[in-house]
Amino acid sequence: MSTTLAGGRAARRQTMRRIRPRRSPAVPLLLAVWAGAAAVLWLWWHNTPSIADDNGRILNAGRITGLLAGYLMALVVLQMARVPALERRVGSDRVARWHAMSGRYTLCLIVAHVFLIMWGYALQAGKSLGDIVQQTIDSINQLPDMGKAAIGTGLFVLIGLTSIGPVRRRMPYDTWYHVHLMTYAAVFLTFWHQITTGNDFAVEPMAKTFWYGLYGTVTALLIWYRIITPIRLNLKHRMRVEAVIEETPGIVSVLIGGRKLHRMGAEAGQFFRWRFLAPGMRFSSHPYSLSAAPRPDMLRITVKAIGDHSARLRELTPGTRVWAEGPYGAMTAQRRSRGKVLLVAGGVGITPMRALFETLPGAAGDITLLYRANSTQDLALWDELAKIADERGARLMYAVNSPDGERPDISAENLQRKIPDIDRHDVFMCGPTGFAQSVYEALRGAGVPARRIHHESFEM
Amino acid sequence: MRKSHPIRRVVLATAATVSGVVLLLSLKPASDPAAASAAGAAPQQTAAGQKAPQGGQQGGAQASSGAGTVTGDATQTQYGTVQVRLTVSNGKIAKAEAVQAPKGGLSDQKTALAVPKLNQEAVAAQSAQIDAVSGATYTSNGYKKSLQSALDRMKSAGSAGSSGPGAPGSSGAAQTRTVTGKVAQTQYGPVQVRITVSGGKIAKAEAVQAPKGGLSDQKTALAVPKLNQEAVTAGNANIDAVSGATYTSTGYKQSLQSALDQAGG
Repeated sequence: MSTTLAGGRAARRQTMRRIRPRRSPAVPLLLAVWAGAAAVLWLWWHNTPSIADDNGRILNAGRITGLLAGYLMALVVLQMARVPALERRVGSDRVARWHAMSGRYTLCLIVAHVFLIMWGYALQAGKSLGDIVQQTIDSINQLPDMGKAAIGTGLFVLIGLTSIGPVRRRMPYDTWYHVHLMTYAAVFLTFWHQITTGNDFAVEPMAKTFWYGLYGTVTALLIWYRIITPIRLNLKHRMRVEAVIEETPGIVSVLIGGRKLHRMGAEAGQFFRWRFLAPGMRFSSHPYSLSAAPRPDMLRITVKAIGDHSARLRELTPGTRVWAEGPYGAMTAQRRSRGKVLLVAGGVGITPMRALFETLPGAAGDITLLYRANSTQDLALWDELAKIADERGARLMYAVNSPDGERPDISAENLQRKIPDIDRHDVFMCGPTGFAQSVYEALRGAGVPARRIHHESFEM
Repeated sequence: MRKSHPIRRVVLATAATVSGVVLLLSLKPASDPAAASAAGAAPQQTAAGQKAPQGGQQGGAQASSGAGTVTGDATQTQYGTVQVRLTVSNGKIAKAEAVQAPKGGLSDQKTALAVPKLNQEAVAAQSAQIDAVSGATYTSNGYKKSLQSALDRMKSAGSAGSSGPGAPGSSGAAQTRTVTGKVAQTQYGPVQVRITVSGGKIAKAEAVQAPKGGLSDQKTALAVPKLNQEAVTAGNANIDAVSGATYTSTGYKQSLQSALDQAGG
C-alpha cells in the first residue's frame, strides 16, 4: 500500500496516459444500416416507373414493405451471429435489445407485406378485399416458392408470439430458445420467393447479386462465429469444472480449469455463455460473468441460484466438461474515459465488478466500489474485496437494509456526500433493473454525464 | 439506461413507416411519362390511307398524315449491330423498335434491359437526343446513330410525301386500319394491344407491350399468342384469361377493349 501511495500524482499521470476510451462503433453501424435501407428503397424507386391507381398503390406499398422486411431480416439474424465487433464493442446487451426491437419491426413489416400484396392481387384479379384468403391460397398454389414462403411466414408469426413479454415469461427458457432457433429455417424458407417472384430482382440482375451477397455474408458470419469459433475455442482450451464453492447462502462460485485460458482474450467485466455437459444441463447455455480476472489455468464465475439452471450448478461435480462461448460483453476497462472510477454493484451483480475492482489500472484512491445487498450476510465475496481494497488503496463501501428492513438511501445528495468529486468519475454498474434505474437517476442528479455511466442490462 | 417508452416507440415507428411509404407512393407519377407520351403520340388510327384516296371516311380522317415505317442504318458497335425501325404517323414517331441489337452472353441481358428503355425514350423525345442507358453505353450510342439516320429518312420522306424506304407495312386496303389500345398497367409491367381492323372485324391482334424480365418473359411468351388468337376469334374483349398469367390477361383485355372502343368510335 505504501508503494502505491508513494506513486501519488506521477502514478496517476501514468495511468491517465494509458486511458484511451474506445468509442462504441454503434453510430457508424447504424448509419450503414440506414444507408442500406435507402439503397433498398432506391431499388424500388428505380424499378417503378409509375403507379396508375389505388390498386397500384396497394401493390407497391406491399413491395416496399416486402423489400424492407427482406433487408432487415438479414440484419436481425446478423445481430445474433456473435460477431466480436458487436458483442465486445457495442455490447451484447445493446445488440440483444436491437435484435428484439428490429425483430418485432420486421415481423410487422412481413405481416403488412403479405396483407398488402394479397389485397393488391385480389383487386387486380377483379375481386375485392373479402377474397383475400382465396387470393392467398391461389398465389401459394400458382407462384413459385410461395408454399415455402407461407410456411416460413407461419414460423415467423409463431416465433413472434412466443417472444411477447407475458408469453415468454410463462414459458421455460429452453422451449422459447428452441422455438427461436427455427428463425433460421423461416429465413431460409422465405428467402426463395423474394428472388423468384420479387419484381425488382427479376428486372435488375444487379439487385439479385446484391441480395445473394447480403444473405451469403450473414450465413458465412453465422457459421464462422456461432459454429467454427466455439469449436476451435473449446478444442483448444478443454475446460472442466474444478470445484464448486458456496460463497453465501444461495450464491455459488464455480472454478473452471483448462489449458492456456489467458489466450482466450477475456477481460475483467466480460462474460461467457456456459454449457455444462452434465445430465439435464447440456442442452442450454447461460451467460455468467467472470468474477475474477482470468488466470492462465483458472476461470471463476459466481452465480446466484435463482433459476432452474443456476440452482443445479451447486450439484456440479469436479471434472464435468464445460463448453464455453465467448468472451462477450463491452463493459470493460476500454469504456473508461477518466482516471477515477466508481463501481456500483447490486447483489450478485458484484461478479463483473469484483473482476474490474481487481484489475482496473489506477492509483490509490482512484477506484471506489459501492456494494448494495439485503444484509451483510448477503455480501458475497466480501473478504476478497476487502483484501483487494487494502492492497491497492481502493475504497470499498457497502449499503444494506437496516435491521428493521428499511432500504438504504442511495440518493444524489448521499452519493455526493460520500464521494465529493463524483461528477469526475466513470461509473460502471451492474445489478437488477430497478436498482440500476434508481442509481442511474441518482448519478445523473449528482452530475455524472450519461456517457460516463456504463451499464449492462439484459432486460428487453 | 434512459427510460424506455415502448408505446411511444411503437407509435413513432408505425407513424414513420406509414408516412414514409405513403410519401414514396405519392411521389410517383400516375402514369409512366415515357409510356404516356408514347400513347399520346401514337395516333390511335395508324391508317396508311393517304395513298388510297378511295379510303372513304376512315382514310379521310387520316388524309394529311404520313404513316409508315422507316428503318435506320445498321450501326456497328463493339458488341454487335444495332438497327432501329420507327413507325411514323402524322409526322411523329409512334413507335420505335430495334430490329437488330447485340446478342449472346451478357449482351442478352443488357439488350433486354436497354432496348425497351431506348424505345420509350425515342418516342418521348421525338428526336435522337435521348439519354444512354447506364450499363449499356455502346448499345445506346449505336441505337442513337441508327435512330438519327431513321429520323433523317423520315424527314426527307415526309417532304417527298412518301413513306420512305423500308415501308412495306402500308396497307392499301381501304377498310383496313390498325388501332392501338391504351396502355394497361399490371403488376408485372405495362400491356398494350394493337389490332388490325378489316371490314369491321378484328383481322389481327398483337401486343406491342407486354411484361418482360425474369418469370414474366415465360408468361408473356405463353399467354400473348393465345390472347391474340382469342381476340381474333371472339371479335371482342370477352376473352378467357390464360391461366397462370391472370394479370397479363387482365391488362390485355383492358387494352383490347380500349382499342375496340376507338375502332368503333
